[in-house]
Amino acid sequence: MTPSGGWVGKILRVDLTTGKTSEISTFDYVPKFLGGRGLGAKICWDEVSSEVGAFDPENRLILATGPLQGTLAPSSGRLTVVGKSPQTGPIESHARSGVGGHFAPQLKWAGYDALIIQGRASKPVYLWITDQKAEILDATSLWGLDTYQTQQMIWKLHGDKTRVMVIGKAGENRSRIACILTDTGDAAGQGGFGGVMGSKNLKAIAVRGTGSVTVARPKELMQLTHDIHRLFARKSLKSDPFQPEEKDFKYNIWGGGYGRGGLTLLDGELLDLCNDPSSGYSQTPDGCFSCPVACRSRVKGPDITPGVALCAQSYMYLESMVQEPEKGYSKITWQAAKLADLYGINSYELMAIIPWLSDCYREKLISEQETGLPLNEIGSWKFISVLLQKMADREGFGDLLAEGGLRAAAKLGGKAEELSWMYYPRAGKFGGYREHWVYLGGFPTGYAVPTLALMWVLDNRDALVSHSYISMLWGAAFINGQNALTAVPEEIFPILKPVMKAVYGSEEAAEFFQPDGKSLNWKWAAPIVKRYHEHSLLKDSYILCDILFPYMFNANSPDHVGDTSFESRLYSAVTGDEMSEEESYRKGEMLCTLERALAARVGRTRGDDIFHDIYFEKEDAGGRKYLREDLERSKSDYYRLMGWDVESGIPTHSTLERLGLKDVAEGLVKKPEPGLPIP
Amino acid sequence: MAKDVDRRIFLKGLTLSALALGDVVAFGDLLWASTLANGQKVALAKTAIFVDKTLCSGCRVCEMVCSNLNCEGRNTSSLARLSVEKEYIKGDYGPKVCYQCSDPPCLKVCPVGALQVEERSGAFTRIIDDSLCIGCQQCIEACQQYFRPPRPKFDVQKQQSIECHLCFGDPQCVKFCPMGVLRVEYSEQGLLVGYPVIKED
Repeated sequence: MTPSGGWVGKILRVDLTTGKTSEISTFDYVPKFLGGRGLGAKICWDEVSSEVGAFDPENRLILATGPLQGTLAPSSGRLTVVGKSPQTGPIESHARSGVGGHFAPQLKWAGYDALIIQGRASKPVYLWITDQKAEILDATSLWGLDTYQTQQMIWKLHGDKTRVMVIGKAGENRSRIACILTDTGDAAGQGGFGGVMGSKNLKAIAVRGTGSVTVARPKELMQLTHDIHRLFARKSLKSDPFQPEEKDFKYNIWGGGYGRGGLTLLDGELLDLCNDPSSGYSQTPDGCFSCPVACRSRVKGPDITPGVALCAQSYMYLESMVQEPEKGYSKITWQAAKLADLYGINSYELMAIIPWLSDCYREKLISEQETGLPLNEIGSWKFISVLLQKMADREGFGDLLAEGGLRAAAKLGGKAEELSWMYYPRAGKFGGYREHWVYLGGFPTGYAVPTLALMWVLDNRDALVSHSYISMLWGAAFINGQNALTAVPEEIFPILKPVMKAVYGSEEAAEFFQPDGKSLNWKWAAPIVKRYHEHSLLKDSYILCDILFPYMFNANSPDHVGDTSFESRLYSAVTGDEMSEEESYRKGEMLCTLERALAARVGRTRGDDIFHDIYFEKEDAGGRKYLREDLERSKSDYYRLMGWDVESGIPTHSTLERLGLKDVAEGLVKKPEPGLPIP
Repeated sequence: MAKDVDRRIFLKGLTLSALALGDVVAFGDLLWASTLANGQKVALAKTAIFVDKTLCSGCRVCEMVCSNLNCEGRNTSSLARLSVEKEYIKGDYGPKVCYQCSDPPCLKVCPVGALQVEERSGAFTRIIDDSLCIGCQQCIEACQQYFRPPRPKFDVQKQQSIECHLCFGDPQCVKFCPMGVLRVEYSEQGLLVGYPVIKED
């Protein structure tokens, strides 16, 4: 039976080679594959064979919404970009990238649940989609423009209510670390899909819709939304939009300790200016579509590029704060991040490339002369502007860096490659993504956490992009008056216990290490990571934001226990397709297995789920280590729980059939019989 | 800051109105301003939504809750009875709400009397009676003479105009706005707001 709400029913296919557009029914794929990441994975399974390279015309660039986009459901402004990723390396493989902002609802209101873009245009084009119509239009005059200029030109032509996904020069030049940007700072960064767009000669996708998304049970959605709003936000003080009018209420994001806003944490020149009403600079909370939280802020001032700020814009160029400590977070720090946005370069990747270049320069492995970069002035405006220009134009050494840190390091080889492992933890054929520095190296900076290690080796991208797990750990630290940088594990265990019991079914799961304090506790790693993956897949498929969901930690209640049933309840209210929380986890497991099958099809096996050696060599702040045998045993546990072959890490035929993925089972090459003993 | 601005406009409205609105008359405790074609006067609204746009995060929760509730679950900006206007690059955001005008241009042009002042609850809200609306869109054009975007909108599916009715006294946009941008202003005497106190927006 077709669900009565949520999906708008059509997927638009655009073939840029032939210039033809066509439609397929969304209900060929949903409710089974939900939307977003799940829907995209199935389309890729059906249409992108293992031989297709990321920049080949046959690759699909899929922009998928989920059932909740374009509705009142909190944080439903998100979109997932899916396809074969040029950033994953050394093998290009399937990946996904999420983006917030206001694009996804427009796409739904225009009548489409998703876009499948294939082929390659013979000259630069952009796509204009409005109310069930799609046109491929000439973009010769837009080619070469930055991401802001391009959007402004499109707004002139199609009205400023149009939302645009756009690439800059980096994407045009097929950088493997180019993002697709929308508005002033929301980007599908990881995965390098900006380069895929560029390879198709597609400069922008412009959407404007006046239709609607039907909600099956509007009253129920209102009540749920109201309950969720109450948990996450309060109205602001008139004098300070970053403060709640209800005293002592903690904005329930990041564990409750940081509150709203992008730059509010980073002291320095720019924040001082923003806080001075007479300066002409300002910072105000900025919300993605339908989101009560407004975790970002928009920043403007007379001589800076305006835009929204969150992690990427805040932390991309911390080197500038080292260079000029007296200024702290300065206008240069901000402008550096904005320049990356204008060129359409993924800022997260730059957070690895810049310190890695610095390491290589310090070790005298690269020189200013051969790179053409002012490496002696890392942290200055001169350095970042030259670096980004060379990367965007693929000029000189920038050509190598446009391939991403992982590939650049491999090309240099030797010591330079070894130094890169600090930033790119996953070894094997499916690396390419930088570590979120405070996480894997230990929690928060100095301590090893087994679950984080297992999450990292298993992912097909950077793990921990489902922030709520980390937010839970941070939250427990805040309760103790500590923060993400100063928390001590044994002191947060008691706070985590009731929370972990509610989410993962065990209090013991809260203890990262054994009572003797000497070795890590790996017992709960596999079941926790399985549930974490189910949560993540579902969240990226409905699509909801990981800043809110799954809601595990309540900073405002005595026991801090959250409620993980919100997502499936929102889904049920919007679509009218009743799904319990337990049922949703089976769907999450299925989607996770489907993604693994996609990776397995291009050769991923158990051996690729591994770190570089340094991650087993270092001791954490408590003198504990990640041991290889522990990790291997946990991997076996995880594969067993998922019903994947323990020796190869590949989903078995029977598991795929059990999950209703018979066609996927038939498409996977049969693997050899198990031989070696399994830990 | 915008709160002050709003406040100023409101206060200015009160003083100006005595001069500009020659035909504001008092009946009992209530002010009556609007004059219909047939000479009948209608009461000022007692309730209106005021905006403090400095707090607006541009999230469009107000639009979504409005269309979700008032259009039987059809969620979309185009069916919301208020519009969040955003300049993304300049970073200038704010919702445009129905003023509940003192002398509502929309009300005067309606050829079938579908635009009415709701008297039963005593709030004197300007509403559209959808059993009467013929979808001529004259109300939208009349509002557009002064205010952009026009506050009444056209529901293409139903072929009728729609207009903010303050959720019959309990505006859900105000309740759901996560930032506190919107607030309900109430006056027992009636509010001198919108046209002709403000003639352009």
